[in-house]
Amino acid sequence: MSIVVDSVSKRFGDFVALDDVSLEVRDGSLTALLGPSGGGKSTLLRVIAGLEAPDSGTVSIGGEDATQQPPQRRNVGFVFQHYAAFKHMTVAKNVAFGLTIRKRSTEEIDERVDELLKLVHLDGFAHRYPSQLSGGQRQRMALARALAVQPRVLLLDEPFGALDATVRKELRAWLRRLHDEVHVTTVFVTHDQEEAMEVAEQIVVLNDGKIEQVGSPKELYEQPANDFVMGFVGPVSELSGRWVRPHDVEIKREPADGAQEAMIDRIVHLGFEVRVELSLGDGERTWVQITKSHAQELELTAGDIVWLRVAVPV
Amino acid sequence: MKSKYALRFVALGYLALLLGIPVALVFVNAFQDGIAAAWDAVTTPEAQHAFYLTLVMVAVAVPLNTIFGVLAALAIVRQRFRGRALLNALIDLPFAVSPVVVGLALLLVYGSRDGWVGQWFADQGIQIIFSTPGMILATMFVSLPFVVRETIPVLREIGTEQEQAAATLGAGPLQTFFRVTLPAIRWGVAYGVVLTTARALGEFGALSIVSGKLSGETETATLFVENRFQRFDETGAYAASVVLALMALVTLLAMTVIKPKEGQT
Repeated sequence: MSIVVDSVSKRFGDFVALDDVSLEVRDGSLTALLGPSGGGKSTLLRVIAGLEAPDSGTVSIGGEDATQQPPQRRNVGFVFQHYAAFKHMTVAKNVAFGLTIRKRSTEEIDERVDELLKLVHLDGFAHRYPSQLSGGQRQRMALARALAVQPRVLLLDEPFGALDATVRKELRAWLRRLHDEVHVTTVFVTHDQEEAMEVAEQIVVLNDGKIEQVGSPKELYEQPANDFVMGFVGPVSELSGRWVRPHDVEIKREPADGAQEAMIDRIVHLGFEVRVELSLGDGERTWVQITKSHAQELELTAGDIVWLRVAVPV
Repeated sequence: MKSKYALRFVALGYLALLLGIPVALVFVNAFQDGIAAAWDAVTTPEAQHAFYLTLVMVAVAVPLNTIFGVLAALAIVRQRFRGRALLNALIDLPFAVSPVVVGLALLLVYGSRDGWVGQWFADQGIQIIFSTPGMILATMFVSLPFVVRETIPVLREIGTEQEQAAATLGAGPLQTFFRVTLPAIRWGVAYGVVLTTARALGEFGALSIVSGKLSGETETATLFVENRFQRFDETGAYAASVVLALMALVTLLAMTVIKPKEGQT
């Protein structure tokens, strides 16, 4: 179901976590709340779940005002960074928790738990305790537990933040596929722009308690609303006082119109990508990203004098 | 290698001198006139009543202090309110104040002649001092801190995320407490209960003031031991001590039996 956040503010003492934030999340979409730590993204997610009460503003879920509802009445699935597994319960009991609370029949619960454990690839682990699972398995269990009650929306707070890099990559791809299967409106919090770009359809960039920009990954990258978004969602380099993407700068061996003279300091080979570090005439330093084949074509070496120009008008 | 044995020698020797040998001697002395004499000494009507009264103290003080202890621990760990630090400090008071002082304090509050509220209770026909209610109050006072102190660290350790997860899954505050919080802190609470029980069984100082020590009426097992000892009934004193020691031992064993194996939870 859709989520509408309207003019929500939240303070913790003197710290302003959310400052008049408004946001719409479409039904069935997969949205990332992206921003630096302390930017307010976790607070926003917790306000939607009812785990924090906003100082002002409203939250509606599926067209219904939920602002005054306690979390147990909102029917949202919430996944925590550190899993929040019920340590004294088996995996099956953890997943069944919401259904047990709703007093469903034993047969229905068993069936649903089986189905969910298959969905998260934990069939065979039903009778283990969380302490006997790896971090990735625990997080998948937490996800199954959240999905068991068929929540109206699924909220994930840095779900992969506590996992190591390989597992994180795996789970990202898996979350993407899961969303295609389950179609529940999903919002997840991350501080990792690559994660947001890879998984989400819509990205909300939050900084200092305010929304900087909302858009698709492509829009954010290609038409950032301001310097903050530009710097946060991708690499930047500076040319004549202007921020540009380092792959949008052309390197020429001959002087050209609007091109600036520069000397190559260093060439870093990163496989497919080659990073060229340069000094400009006025002593400023910058860097340009080109492909390996392009670098070979230009026959660049450290100490060469070249001319730089922004290739795509921004 | 040598230091390993030295450490063991010191630790065990210390325990033997302070605990093992004195307790063993109590057992030896209890049976100096034979098992029959010891059995007779602890089955007199006065003795039976004393043990019964001790069990009453435990049966009332332990559940009440357990419930209060868990609630107080929850308030101290999970809430922020004015006077929280004071509550936290007050809970340790029974550790710091001598039980005799506790007894005198209770006398000042509940004494039927010149106590602060005792007069009012006496008018309603309720006698607190020199009677079971006062003795229960004394026992509760001295055994109050254990459940709180054992529960606070485990509550801190489990954090609030499991409770928040339960709330998002539809559990109300009571369901969350009984299904998530309590099972998560149960070993801390259980250990607190064992210590509370042991303390309640052994209380002497405050009881000796508020009970009036009426043999067969307001005499608990510990007071009975003192009574027998004062009357040069050594067998009676030691035999009753052995029964008290066994009660405490059963409590400790119960704990060891119900405690989960390492790493099970």
